[in-house]
Amino acid sequence: MSRPSAGERLKRLLALLPWLAAHPGSTIQEISERFGISPKQLEDDLAVVWMVGVPPYTPDQLIDVEFDGDRVSVNLGSYFQRPLRLSNPQALALVTAGQSLVSVPGTDPEGPLARGLAKLATALQVDPAEAMTVHLGEAGSETLDRLRSAADGGRRVRLDYYSYGSDVRSSRDVDPHRIWAEGGSWYLAGWCHRADGPRVFRVDRIAAAEVLDEPVSTAPESGEISTFDSAGTDASVTLDLDAEAAWVVDYYPHEAVEELADDGFRVVLPVASTRWLEQLLVRLGPAADVVALTGDLPATAGTDAARRVLARYRR
Amino acid sequence: MATEKVDKLERLMNLVAVLLDTMRPLSADELRELVGGYPEGSDATFHRAFERDKEDLRELGVPLVVQPLPGVDPPRDGYRIPRDEYYLADPGLEADELAALHLAVSTVQVGGPTDDEALWKLGGVIAADGLGSRPGGGEPVASLPADARLPLLFGAVSERRRVRLTHGGVERLVDPYRLDFRRGRWYLTALDHERDDICSYRLDRIEGEVVGEGSAKAFERPEDVRSGAERQPWELGDDEPVEARVLVDADQAGYAVHLTGEAAVAHRHDDGSVELALPVSNPLAFRSFVLTFLEHAEVLSPPELRDDLVAWLEHLS
Repeated sequence: MSRPSAGERLKRLLALLPWLAAHPGSTIQEISERFGISPKQLEDDLAVVWMVGVPPYTPDQLIDVEFDGDRVSVNLGSYFQRPLRLSNPQALALVTAGQSLVSVPGTDPEGPLARGLAKLATALQVDPAEAMTVHLGEAGSETLDRLRSAADGGRRVRLDYYSYGSDVRSSRDVDPHRIWAEGGSWYLAGWCHRADGPRVFRVDRIAAAEVLDEPVSTAPESGEISTFDSAGTDASVTLDLDAEAAWVVDYYPHEAVEELADDGFRVVLPVASTRWLEQLLVRLGPAADVVALTGDLPATAGTDAARRVLARYRR
Repeated sequence: MATEKVDKLERLMNLVAVLLDTMRPLSADELRELVGGYPEGSDATFHRAFERDKEDLRELGVPLVVQPLPGVDPPRDGYRIPRDEYYLADPGLEADELAALHLAVSTVQVGGPTDDEALWKLGGVIAADGLGSRPGGGEPVASLPADARLPLLFGAVSERRRVRLTHGGVERLVDPYRLDFRRGRWYLTALDHERDDICSYRLDRIEGEVVGEGSAKAFERPEDVRSGAERQPWELGDDEPVEARVLVDADQAGYAVHLTGEAAVAHRHDDGSVELALPVSNPLAFRSFVLTFLEHAEVLSPPELRDDLVAWLEHLS
């Protein structure tokens, strides 16, 4: 490991010194744990501090470090009273993370996180709740709570799950391995005993979840889990989109895109299921022309679906 | 080599101390004298080292103010660090609150992991289960997309500083009120000066750089600014809102309610299907929403919206 740069150590010292001055008599152990550094690093840092001060560098102008056994006390000049303000990226990271978790269903609105965030208003000049909200994804608080407690406790769950691709609702017993939010949705990854394989479920499609008495019998798969439904399929559609349908390019992952005359786009989209393509074509209507299809996708997907929906209105 | 680093660290510490301590701007030559620790040699050597030091401090976010020295001719730059811009106001966090924030930044990431410096400044890196150890090297619970303009925009929101941005090919001067993350995307809600209206901008639709303009505290944030991102697509229109009723079959009822929110539920039927009441001021977006469910949803009323949908489908089939 290379020695940390002067800049890295400067960052730490500028934060460490005000804390030390405010907490005289802390032990080396305590301090190094709190700042996530080794006692050796801390001693090296303190050795530098001896030499810091302002002119005329008389002892009363230098920073004074006193050791009493392994206890440290620091007397500062007035200049390092407080740490440096949080930078914009630091403030952003703290507030985003905090606001994300307080928005998760089931979080205690008066717990330490909510209290800590509210206090940050002093340091940030703005109340985090006024500056930002983060909505990680739709999920019923009960469902999410149950899944998380099952995953933590190593218990199997029974899901009432609607599969968009196959348009089928089914009951599945799943060993929950991991729950996370990404791209505006919550996901559950686990071993599906019905499919006898690893599966990813969207939490907002879980109509009901029941925690079973049975413990899980599988371990998490290693490696990246893809959340995009089409992973593993090679079907795709090429569409010519009018300008009004250009949102499709922003909204869905695409394999290729090129601009057409009249502000339109030609886009190649991976297709997870016929049903997904159907709803897209029915929604876009004349704003999209199917140029090409790969895989087993029917050329009449849009028309077929429109007829099915129409039948419902005519019965 | 190690000594050189220590020398530089010492010098930077002294430089910050002197600049914080001074009440008047100091010239580069004064700093050379007062701080010491600069390499022996020519003026050029000193100036190179001094320039690098200034850069290092700026990179750390130290508010180094450059202002002309009073009464000097020809004019020369002076330097100081205003304490009120440097000092972090003490939020007085308790250990459990620090631990909760630590857990939060460990589990929710914007773009990538954050370093410990922010927590050092706030009083230390405390794990939820006590002092010291980091929470288990688990994967993040959530990762949000980063955007290079987010930090500046967040800074502008908190300082209440105007920004100039380009959206839809038009440059706009806005008062940034808040940032929101919804449906997987970042939105900025701001007062657009030209339009004199509160608008929501999707961050990934903002073109190019965002530039802060003028001083902090340039505007007051109105209370209860509602982000446009909280509104549903079918609510974002110029039409007078009409209440539409939509029946969604049992299989997709849960998903539909997740999308609309529980407040939209007008009636739950015994078979598990659900009737939604939606305020529609954008009929096109409403049609698009209903058709997401294909044959599993049906517009019940008003007749205009139902007829519009039937006409659309007839045209397609």
